Amino acid sequence: MSGPDAAQARRLFALSLPHVPDVHLYQTQVGQHLLVVNGSRLFDVDAEASDALDRARRDHDGAEVRRLLEALGVSEAPFIDDTPVQSPPVRALSLAVAQKCNLGCTYCYAQQGDFGGPARNMPLQTALDAVDLLLRDAGRGERVNLSFLGGEPLFNRAVIRAATERAVEGARAKGVSLTLSLTTNGTLLTEDDAAFLEEHGFAVTVSLDGLQETHDRLRAFKGGQGSFAKVMAHVAPLLARQRQMQVTARVTVTPRNLELRQTLDAFVEQGFHAVGFSPMLSSPTGRDEMGHAELELMLEQMVDCGQEFERRLIAGRRYPFSNMVNAMRELHKGTHRPYPCGAGAGYLGVSASGELAACHRFVGDEEGAMGDLVTGVDRERQARWLTERHVHRQEPCRSCWARYLCGGGCHHEVIQRGRPACDYIRGWLHYCLEAYSRLSQARPDYFGLPPASG
Amino acid sequence: MKKLDPKNLSAQLHYRAAGNPPGTLPSSAISNCFPGLEFDFRNVWRRIFVGIEMHEADNYVMKVDRGLEHLLHRRLLRVDGHPLVVPVMGPQRPGSAPIQLTNSANPDGITFMEWSNALAEVLHAKAGKKVRCEFTKEESPLPAGIPTDKKKLVVADLEVRHFFARGPQGQLAVIAEELAQPGELTQGLCSPWQNDYRECACYYWAASRPDYVSVEQGPQGTSIGINWMQKERGPEVPQQYILDNRSDSRLVSYDDLFRHWQESLHFQIEGRDSVSVPLPEGDGEPPA
Repeated sequence: MSGPDAAQARRLFALSLPHVPDVHLYQTQVGQHLLVVNGSRLFDVDAEASDALDRARRDHDGAEVRRLLEALGVSEAPFIDDTPVQSPPVRALSLAVAQKCNLGCTYCYAQQGDFGGPARNMPLQTALDAVDLLLRDAGRGERVNLSFLGGEPLFNRAVIRAATERAVEGARAKGVSLTLSLTTNGTLLTEDDAAFLEEHGFAVTVSLDGLQETHDRLRAFKGGQGSFAKVMAHVAPLLARQRQMQVTARVTVTPRNLELRQTLDAFVEQGFHAVGFSPMLSSPTGRDEMGHAELELMLEQMVDCGQEFERRLIAGRRYPFSNMVNAMRELHKGTHRPYPCGAGAGYLGVSASGELAACHRFVGDEEGAMGDLVTGVDRERQARWLTERHVHRQEPCRSCWARYLCGGGCHHEVIQRGRPACDYIRGWLHYCLEAYSRLSQARPDYFGLPPASG
Repeated sequence: MKKLDPKNLSAQLHYRAAGNPPGTLPSSAISNCFPGLEFDFRNVWRRIFVGIEMHEADNYVMKVDRGLEHLLHRRLLRVDGHPLVVPVMGPQRPGSAPIQLTNSANPDGITFMEWSNALAEVLHAKAGKKVRCEFTKEESPLPAGIPTDKKKLVVADLEVRHFFARGPQGQLAVIAEELAQPGELTQGLCSPWQNDYRECACYYWAASRPDYVSVEQGPQGTSIGINWMQKERGPEVPQQYILDNRSDSRLVSYDDLFRHWQESLHFQIEGRDSVSVPLPEGDGEPPA
């Protein structure tokens, strides 16, 4: 770590405070900028308009903000209304093919792999039925995703392969575009897996929590022995082989592995296609959860990584820090959504015994139960979920400027622990907005924009 | 600097420049599959296939690149399995069942389906790729149906261009430059503007603009105000409603629109009629 100083994070916490629901303002060396929350629209704005909006928002005068937006010609009807998504078709399934694991990570939402129940593998027929459900209503040209999770999914390799073959064949026959993913702890990967995953162009996510010492402390085998050396040895053939396949390192950030920059640089060096960080906000035991102080340190580190991304992008070099790459892409599009993800909507988890859940984290949890493979999606429960989880129904999200970028936060974490990370999320988004404005000026080609004039 | 400068894609798509009327946004403009007032959207389809140039509103090949001469003046009947023409069905006399309607100008009794709908699926799935295109084998000045005899077809695999310009991050909110050369999107506007402004009784061409303004209710329940076709629209004009009548000299005539639409109708700039400067005689003539 660069040191305990968290000046950047504190600056971002202060600048990103929520004042009014309709706008957010920020400033960079290239000028003043405005986020119109409705539609996630980003504008450069002159000092006069920016000052007027800033006064109104600091006075928490929502009516004046709306009047100013109208005068600026950006007061369209809401792009997102209160209506929940209605009976969305299934477009992505994650199969908990093995509800068991050889690692004993204390923070694991799956409680060391078995979700608090008996360890088991998904029977072949259950996996095939899930594939059929995924492809049933998908039409020509539509996109679907099939992912394998656990526990550690490679405990059930044969089922992964059979389900993959079935999905590939079925998708080809229907003209459906299929993407495949696998999330693994890496300990069981083989050369043969590398060939198979490359052949089918898998997006492979390997959970790695840091360099050797750190990783071994957080992600040890159940017997206590560190797993880092084994993981890296087994991932090496995938890294060497990836062409169609993309191998990403996913780092769960806890108070015990806050050295983000060092971790990022090491994994980029190793040849990972991308490296992403996610804070541990809710663990079954409460252990290793991030509090405000740790999130402040994490934000400082995230910004350090982000600034390196900016430097390298301006110099025309690749730096696959996935949190930043994704944020730049989504901000450029102006993504605005009433949910944090597709969970419980087009995306569902499937347990080893064939129950459907709102996502991979809700496997075996009554809270997110959504029917089963035999009777299909429980549309009543799903409708209730989508109504209740809509960001307009969440507090304090309804009045937060970041609501359509954040979507209200991971359902699982929010239901388990609430929203302890809002300052962190807003601070990170504020930084990303600043970086977007700088980079769209410095490297418009990265976003496909015409070069800035003047 | 402008007060606002839209930066990301959602801001660009929904931004209405100060002074522009609502109809200048893509979502509210009348220009989806007909020539609107802003531009003639149909022209974007002319170069949707690499190597040939189509008519903007017909499946007729207007020009070809070298090597594709055998496609010139043919009709494109099917793209990637999707037909571009359908039979025209209707009753021929009262009480009789619908039949395929043919006449000497349309012996096969078919009609071309407008590009944006006919190609939607192809564009979505196959942009940037080559697709199977089936043409009439012979030159076809008249509309032609899809023959059952495959020998009467000629097939070429042509690349479908991307509709939107693309950057390293993907699509932009801009029509790709290859689809239309400068001036092409507006060059066909003269015909609908000049004639249909007056011709279309429901004011279709002006439907997204106010056509009757400064309206006041009279005591008899009638209204007075300014009809957009009035020649004089200033505040000094006597307040009355002039009924649309092509021979009333107080309203613009077909002739006025053909000769000097821009002076008769005025551009609306920042919410007001702007005074346009007449072009010198001769310069305003459309190219022959």
